[in-house]
Amino acid sequence: MRQLISKVRMSLENALMFQFPARLFGAAVALTLAAATPAFAQQLELKLMAPAAPGGGWDQTARSMQQALVATGVARSVQVVNVPGAGGSVGIAQFVNGAKGDGNQLMVNGFVMVGALAMNKSPVTLEQVTPIARLTEEIQVIVVPANSPIKSAQDLAAAVKADIAKVTFAGGSAGGVDHVMAALFAGAVGADAKKINYIPFSGGGESLAAILGGKVTAGISGLSEYEGQIKSGKLRAIGVTSEKRIAGSDIPTFKEQGIDLVIANWRSVVAPPGITPEQKKTLSDAVEKMVKSDAWKEILKQKGWEDAYLGGDAFADFLKKETVRVTDVLKSVGLVKS
Amino acid sequence: MMDTFAALAHGMAVAVQPMNLLYALIGVFLGTAVGVLPGIGPALTVALLLPVTYKLDPGGSLIMFAGIYYGGMYGGSTTAILINTPGESASMATALEGNKMAKAGRGGPALATSAIGSFVAGTIATIGLAFLAPWLVDFAVRFGPEDYFALMCVAFVTVSATFGDSPIRGLTSLFIGLTLGLVGIDKLTGQARLAFGVPELLDGVEVTTLAVGLFAVGEALYVASRRHHTEEKLEPVRGSLWMTKEDWKRSWKPWLRGTMFGFPIGALPAGGAEIPTFLSYSTEKRLTKHPEEFGKGAIEGVAGPEAANNASAAGTLVPLLTLGLPTSATAAMMLAGFQQYGLNPGPLLFAERPDLVWGLIASLFIANCMLLVLNLPLVGLWVRLLAIPQPWLYAGILVFATMGTIAAKPSVVELSMLAGFGVLGFLMRRFDFPIAPVVVGLILGPIAESQLRRALAISLGDPVTLLQSPISATLLGIALVALLAPFVLKGLGRFKANED
Amino acid sequence: MTSRDPAQPQRRVDRAGIVIAALLAGLAAVLVWDARGLQSTSMYGMGPEAMPVVVATGLALLAIGNFIDALRGNLPARESADPLPVLLILIGLALLIAIIGFGGGFILATAALFVTTSAAFGRRAIVVDSIIALVMSSLIYLAFDRLLTLSLPAGPLERLL
Repeated sequence: MRQLISKVRMSLENALMFQFPARLFGAAVALTLAAATPAFAQQLELKLMAPAAPGGGWDQTARSMQQALVATGVARSVQVVNVPGAGGSVGIAQFVNGAKGDGNQLMVNGFVMVGALAMNKSPVTLEQVTPIARLTEEIQVIVVPANSPIKSAQDLAAAVKADIAKVTFAGGSAGGVDHVMAALFAGAVGADAKKINYIPFSGGGESLAAILGGKVTAGISGLSEYEGQIKSGKLRAIGVTSEKRIAGSDIPTFKEQGIDLVIANWRSVVAPPGITPEQKKTLSDAVEKMVKSDAWKEILKQKGWEDAYLGGDAFADFLKKETVRVTDVLKSVGLVKS
Repeated sequence: MMDTFAALAHGMAVAVQPMNLLYALIGVFLGTAVGVLPGIGPALTVALLLPVTYKLDPGGSLIMFAGIYYGGMYGGSTTAILINTPGESASMATALEGNKMAKAGRGGPALATSAIGSFVAGTIATIGLAFLAPWLVDFAVRFGPEDYFALMCVAFVTVSATFGDSPIRGLTSLFIGLTLGLVGIDKLTGQARLAFGVPELLDGVEVTTLAVGLFAVGEALYVASRRHHTEEKLEPVRGSLWMTKEDWKRSWKPWLRGTMFGFPIGALPAGGAEIPTFLSYSTEKRLTKHPEEFGKGAIEGVAGPEAANNASAAGTLVPLLTLGLPTSATAAMMLAGFQQYGLNPGPLLFAERPDLVWGLIASLFIANCMLLVLNLPLVGLWVRLLAIPQPWLYAGILVFATMGTIAAKPSVVELSMLAGFGVLGFLMRRFDFPIAPVVVGLILGPIAESQLRRALAISLGDPVTLLQSPISATLLGIALVALLAPFVLKGLGRFKANED
Repeated sequence: MTSRDPAQPQRRVDRAGIVIAALLAGLAAVLVWDARGLQSTSMYGMGPEAMPVVVATGLALLAIGNFIDALRGNLPARESADPLPVLLILIGLALLIAIIGFGGGFILATAALFVTTSAAFGRRAIVVDSIIALVMSSLIYLAFDRLLTLSLPAGPLERLL
């Protein structure tokens, strides 16, 4: 469901980029769209792969990048290519094999791909691509129904320690960020992560219903997904996964409550393997310029994404550490054979 | 209660302004034009066309958006009826009888009953939404995994009654569908089943790929193989183009019953539109006074499922508007309509922005009317499609059928699957296996499995949980009765016969 | 295959039916074989291997049922089929897949399918059909690729547009 929502959201952006209504229905429907064609476009002509179907988070990220890159004149044209399948496994395989050494191609990816590649035993790994930059992230939250006896992260920790099987977590697909987070929570409070009772649901709506209906103990998701329910008092947020408390929010972080659980659903952009250092620098500079542009900031605001820009070696380092962490967690819950 | 009426009236007043009516018309037209593509259902249609609405004022935008949505949904039914290519899984039941009707020259009444049925169902469901939402949502949230599993059991039992003459052949089809449903990553443990190392198979078999392959491609192959036998001549219109008195008489009850299935099940967070359409189809088949027509083009089999489909779409608004739960593609689209204005539907929306909520409901209503206005006169034109010479007609259908797949997933594997399902559909027709149960198995199998496993995970493996929930126990009871009733009745009949 | 010659006895072994039964049994075997490779992870309740085994059991039973039906010759009569048109359409589908697979683009691919299908239904005016098909595909391509930004596969022809 999350995908569908984003699918729809993204299409708004399409209109701006492709000037679709302006071309055909523009006159009839009396729509005017700002067709931004910067005068000082550089020669960069990029091909940007979204390893997912049109509409998902990665596709939205790719199309937003396209919009910002062109609007700021960093690139003359950006073509978005969708290669859906298996959490990005199909896309990255095509990217690594087909775009090798091509300095004009980029691919969007994110947290979910790390787990998907490990679980699907993909022959291609993230070590093969050239990291460019982390772009955005979303903070995660754990919620319980309003009438639950669990009031804080410590209460939940106590329940998990008492009988881990009886504490059911509802969240997104197996091996995704929600699942990894449930395992990390159990690990952080000193319980056996292998024994977590995690129940994957196919969409935010469905898991939310299970939480509201009291069918499960707690729910895990991106903060924005549950924000309305938290504000209206139907759900109680017992902790968020950010490093520091979110400005203007009264939800405590797990760290504040003495539980070392920091995780975010990040999205990033990478280049093909085998490109020259100059090519890498050109792409990195282009992305950096885009991230600092007003157009990008506007998009982030519109979509409610957190800016999490991290470029250069710092990102390469981060990617490596996340890969190790996620793979370890998935091994510990038995989703990846060690 | 009075407030509800006042709010709805206000929403209506906004919606019937001439400019807004124009937006509705354009929306319905665009939606129909794109919605006819198989594989591109109403959800994607709106996603693709929503940009058109972007720069309008909130009222106009919501109205055009509702028009696109209903247009997309109706477009799916149109192709299901005319060329046996269901645009989405929810119009599969429509294709079963609708296409048979179209081939018998009754495409006009089929399209009409589907449009009017959608209108009736949409209207009733909208009223239901306005007055029952708070009560219904309480019930809906109480539905747990074990209850969904029980509901699935009811669906399996009732639907299998419609599998045709031979239970063995019907069940064979169903189990082929269940097998296909296993393909891909297991949702609960992330392990691949029946993927044989092919990455494209990890995401499972797409329902539209299967349905389009079995229905459209399979049929083209079958008709081609029999050309020397019987030159199939399609008469676009035989008898009345419009619904006759008899058609009305046979349609109105299925419309109402379809609504009764669609609305409450649609309101369930994991209810969906497929189950009510199947349930409606099998109910109509059982209740009809013309059982001999089923399988040959019975109007009840179009009227019921179409109404159910439409009512379930309105049903999904219940959890969306009252709880902010987007539970279906439809609901996600409604969300999109709101998100254009930076609003998130949820518990607070009714209180904070009643104008938008009621505006949306009113515009759904208007879009529904507009669809009638636009489509009923066009029915004559649509059915003329069937007058295209057979070679071009079938060539066009195949191009059309593959196009949805090419647009959604342009991979060799997916297209090969489409062709493969086409061959399967051909062989099943040739050896007289029913087609529909395959798709039923693919849709219901994975849901039933996931829900059962979720229920058992929550209860730590204790199957008693299935009987502890009153909803689940009741539904399982209904399934059991439905399963045994035919045998018991048969036995009683024999018993009586013996006494005589 | 089976002819409808009334002179033949009604009840005779249906060879196609036996093949179908064998295929079902084979499918059941594949399911079991595939399920054996799955591991029960730490999930509580039912593992991923349970459902395939249930379905396989059903398939095996149905294979037996179909086999008995075939032995008894209980299957509905079939009309003879003309393999040539079927083959033509399958060639069309194969062409479509190949053209898309090798980057020939949407227009050529669908045009090929259109022409072969039309031929399968008895038309022999291949040149006319090709022109119709190319024009139609190009229009569809323009409408959906350019207006709706659905990324249909592009080949040499599409780049000209």
